[in-house]
Amino acid sequence: MTFRSRLLITTSVVLIATSGMLSANTHPVTGETLAADQSFTYRVGDESPSIDPGLVEDTDGADVVRDLFEGLYNQDATGNLVPGVALSHDVSDDGLIYTFNLRENAKWSNGDPVTAGDFVYAWQRAASPELASPYSWYIDLMSIENSGAVIAGDMEPSELGVTAIDDLTLEVRLSQPLPYFPQMLTHGTTFPVHQATVEEHGSNWVLPANMVSNGAYVLTEFVPQERLVRTRNPLYWDNENTIIETVTKLVITDENVALTRYLAGELDRTDVPAGQFPRLSAEFPDQAVSVPEACSYYYMFNLRDGAPEELQNPDVRKALSLAVDRDIIVENVLAAGQKAAYTFTHWAVAGFETPDIPMASMTQEERNAMAQELLAGAGYGPDNPLSIDLVYNTDDGHRAVAIAISQMWKQTLGVDTLLSNQEWQTFLDARQNGDFDVARGGWCADYNEASTFLDLMQSQSGYNDSKYNNPEVDALLAEARTSDNPQANYDRVEEFIAQDTPIIPIYHYAADDMFAENLEGWPYENFEQQWYSKDLYKVAE
Amino acid sequence: MLSFVIRRLAVAIPTLLILVVLSFILMYAAPGGPFNSERPLPPEVLANIEAKYGLDQPFWRQIVNYVVSVVTQFDFGPSFQYKDRSVNDVIAQGFPVTLTYGFWSFVVAVTVGVSLGVAAAIKQNSWIDYFAVGVSIGAQVLPNFVMAPILLLIFTLWLGWLPGGGWNGGQWQFLIMPVIALSTSYMASIARITRSSMLEVLNTNFIRTAIAKGLPMRRVIWRHAMKPTILPVLSYLGPAFVGMITGSVIIDVFFSTGGIGQFFVNSAFNRDYSVIMGITILVGTLTILFNLVVDILYAWIDPKIRY
Amino acid sequence: MLPNRAAVEGAADQMALAEVKGRSLWADARIRFFRNRAAVISLIMLGLVAAFALFGGMLAQYEPDFVNFSLIGSNAYLGVPSIETGHYFGTDSNGRDLFARTVMGTGISLMVGVVGALVAVIVGTLYGATAGYYGGRVDGAMMRIVDVLMSIPFMFVLILMLVIFGRSIFMLFLGIGLISWLDMARIARGQTLTIKNKEFVEVAVATGVRPSKIILRHIVPNLLGIVIVYATLLVPNMIIFESFISFLGLGVQEPATSLGALINEGSRTMQFGFMWQISFPLFFFVVTIFAFFFVGDGLRDALDPKDR
Repeated sequence: MTFRSRLLITTSVVLIATSGMLSANTHPVTGETLAADQSFTYRVGDESPSIDPGLVEDTDGADVVRDLFEGLYNQDATGNLVPGVALSHDVSDDGLIYTFNLRENAKWSNGDPVTAGDFVYAWQRAASPELASPYSWYIDLMSIENSGAVIAGDMEPSELGVTAIDDLTLEVRLSQPLPYFPQMLTHGTTFPVHQATVEEHGSNWVLPANMVSNGAYVLTEFVPQERLVRTRNPLYWDNENTIIETVTKLVITDENVALTRYLAGELDRTDVPAGQFPRLSAEFPDQAVSVPEACSYYYMFNLRDGAPEELQNPDVRKALSLAVDRDIIVENVLAAGQKAAYTFTHWAVAGFETPDIPMASMTQEERNAMAQELLAGAGYGPDNPLSIDLVYNTDDGHRAVAIAISQMWKQTLGVDTLLSNQEWQTFLDARQNGDFDVARGGWCADYNEASTFLDLMQSQSGYNDSKYNNPEVDALLAEARTSDNPQANYDRVEEFIAQDTPIIPIYHYAADDMFAENLEGWPYENFEQQWYSKDLYKVAE
Repeated sequence: MLSFVIRRLAVAIPTLLILVVLSFILMYAAPGGPFNSERPLPPEVLANIEAKYGLDQPFWRQIVNYVVSVVTQFDFGPSFQYKDRSVNDVIAQGFPVTLTYGFWSFVVAVTVGVSLGVAAAIKQNSWIDYFAVGVSIGAQVLPNFVMAPILLLIFTLWLGWLPGGGWNGGQWQFLIMPVIALSTSYMASIARITRSSMLEVLNTNFIRTAIAKGLPMRRVIWRHAMKPTILPVLSYLGPAFVGMITGSVIIDVFFSTGGIGQFFVNSAFNRDYSVIMGITILVGTLTILFNLVVDILYAWIDPKIRY
Repeated sequence: MLPNRAAVEGAADQMALAEVKGRSLWADARIRFFRNRAAVISLIMLGLVAAFALFGGMLAQYEPDFVNFSLIGSNAYLGVPSIETGHYFGTDSNGRDLFARTVMGTGISLMVGVVGALVAVIVGTLYGATAGYYGGRVDGAMMRIVDVLMSIPFMFVLILMLVIFGRSIFMLFLGIGLISWLDMARIARGQTLTIKNKEFVEVAVATGVRPSKIILRHIVPNLLGIVIVYATLLVPNMIIFESFISFLGLGVQEPATSLGALINEGSRTMQFGFMWQISFPLFFFVVTIFAFFFVGDGLRDALDPKDR
């Protein structure tokens, strides 16, 4: 009885579906049968500071902006550039002038055409002191002519090196050649905004009722700290290839709650809670996914003048580094596809060969023996135990790592560690002002090249919180910037890091997520994790 | 009575001013700042931002500007963290949410709590008493950050009866779990206070006399015992109400309701000065108003109190 | 249970004999208290919990901060409670002995609860009674101060205090105690308003007794019933409150722990089947709170001066 009625229902659903939209029922490329429900719901941990392209600063916000707006180029599933609003570009011989040819059929969601002038307006706006965007430095990073002066308020935004030759031709002038300039154009800061809308509504233009956008989706509902809903934009130039109808971002602070709701079928994507990957991947092998993420996890030593004397001895630092059993951290504590790190640069960074660091090929027993020897040599032992303050920011994962490492130091070396977890702002303050012995650090790549990590070791870098200062490293890094084959320099820098131990590389990140079984098209191969809802689809089960 | 209310309201203004100044000082004494991040901003970018939000002004100037704009235009300024929104937007969106589930929790806590407490006191040392005491303690023993995930596991994951969170404009399905999780511990406290207060009242001479005279129990309770019993409960309601507003952070964290509690805690961690100030003033005003209402009720119930 | 009960009754009888010589309020109360079976059992339970917190460490096979690396993360399911391994309560998700940690957590929670409640009750009662007794402007000013303090959302004060002054158990005591005396003050004041209109207070005033003496001798003792009930509500509330702070990540520093912190950690893994990680701390938590409530109730009934 139940079986039969269910059968009837299924049949009628199929009938409705087939009669209604025969063409939309299979994927145009792969031919897979599509599910009737094409909505995608995913979880984020916190509300984004902004979804205004000119102001967006976090990755969750950037994900939203990439759906709502479209820049000159997009990324495909493996991270290669594909045309967005721009079809192609020409570069002048000196590499300073880029001319972009825009497509004719790009439209705003109110029907206006997307023109080169929209880009000019958006870029000038992003750089203007009036908007005071925390991401205005990105315009400077792109080396656009006069960007520094415009940001500092010494020049008018109109003097920024970007001009609309005509509605479909955009010219950008750079202050220095930048080979990866086109790659930078997939970032939200460079996306166009609709001038009339922004001028009419001021900062309220991002409200669903006001927003005019040019992406594959338009904003239909936005309740901060709760949900953000975007639906298919029928005026998008590639609308016919868009499959997902609505995309909902839910703010769910607690990752365990998010997992519960995922398991209850409310979400199509959520994060794997710390330490739960092995269990979830055993139970749901098709749903739990781990991919490399472009970040490195490390502990830094405080090398400032006036910092504790004992840590100024490289042997002590090296002993502490040797005694950290990375395999336990990645295989037991985290166990979610992370990799033990003996180099600062992430192993999966494009064009980077992980150099042979002697420590990496030793067994943990050999490392422990060497560590004990080094520490004894430095004059520390049972009679004169070393004692250190370890600072980390409040988070279950960081806590687990800190507890494990403090016990490794205690059990192997007899070092006393005072754990101190601090909330984020206090932690940043302590780290930037050198108020620590050892502090946790995590660094994520800005772009897919080794220097995005290694530049932190430069003595002048604003992000070098351990204040490591080695003129040879500075020279090697400066040389690498203009070198055709910088790998040799990077090898040397990594060797210096292993030798001087200003930091303890611990592991290289992996991103672990649960994806609904019928969700397809996720760009797992995209190292920067840039995904577009328009590329996703759900197959019928 | 009217002059009392006016006097109290007149005092409320300096109270709020002190609150503003105190919060400002505490806020600036905390390490970090709203625009401090893992990747320190270039100085010129930071200068632009500080100029935009008026943070380049001297400290006293900021306070004066703030108070003036709040008083004259009812404008609490832009949020430093949520750059697309003003503090007024944040409050306008989050506060009705908190108020809605807070109100229902309050209603549940008071009605259930008082009924349990009265029932337990009247039938002291009977099974009703033990049951009421047991329930109220049981409800208080379970911290709401344990109860919330348990509710989620039961009603969302296992039974599939209720959505696991969100607000959706406050439909009833989305209200049930937040109200249960928020009201139980207050309900328990109210039940215990009511019980102990009622027992005390039942032992007083005038109630004993009333009972001895042969008045029906029901009448004694309602006409004579209820008023004095409710006094300590009333005292508790002021703090309980404020506790519910600030304690709503757990509700917001577990049920993703988007209420004011989470905005507050997030802004404290993010050093979003303007949102902290806005919510502090809001909660402060509410506290003052609520305490005033409690005091008026107090005087109304117990005419012996002179103001 | 039986011998216990006999002993209790015996003690009560002896006290009843002593009464003949004229008994004080407190001796009287003690007798009544020991007649209350639930309260006595709870008192014994509290004693056991306290003994567990004080001496349980001697039974533990491991230090509370010792990590067993073979039992963490993906192997956490191996950390089941077992007599053989010496992990009587199993291990927590970081591979540490849960028995030793529960002992530690119980101690810290009890300390936070009792000390916090004491500070709150003493400060709050004296403050509230004073305000209520004097009435008028003094009352107005004193209660406005309370209003101002109460209008500052307490979480914010604590977060800032813990942030600015660094985190320590002492700060936690101080913060919790200082914030919770406000409620007590309001309750004490409300009650005082009623009591001060009673004849015995009016007589004392008329005979020229000093106000401080009236407050301490005549008003505070009459507040005791409600104060004690409130204090017993406060101790578990303090413990819950401490766990809320742990939940925000501002609680006691690792490797120290509290019952609240352990429960908080346990609640994160319960859906994955590590039930022992929440059960054991929660058991001690529940027992402690139940016991405090029943002892408080017993004290209330015993101290009720109108019951004579």
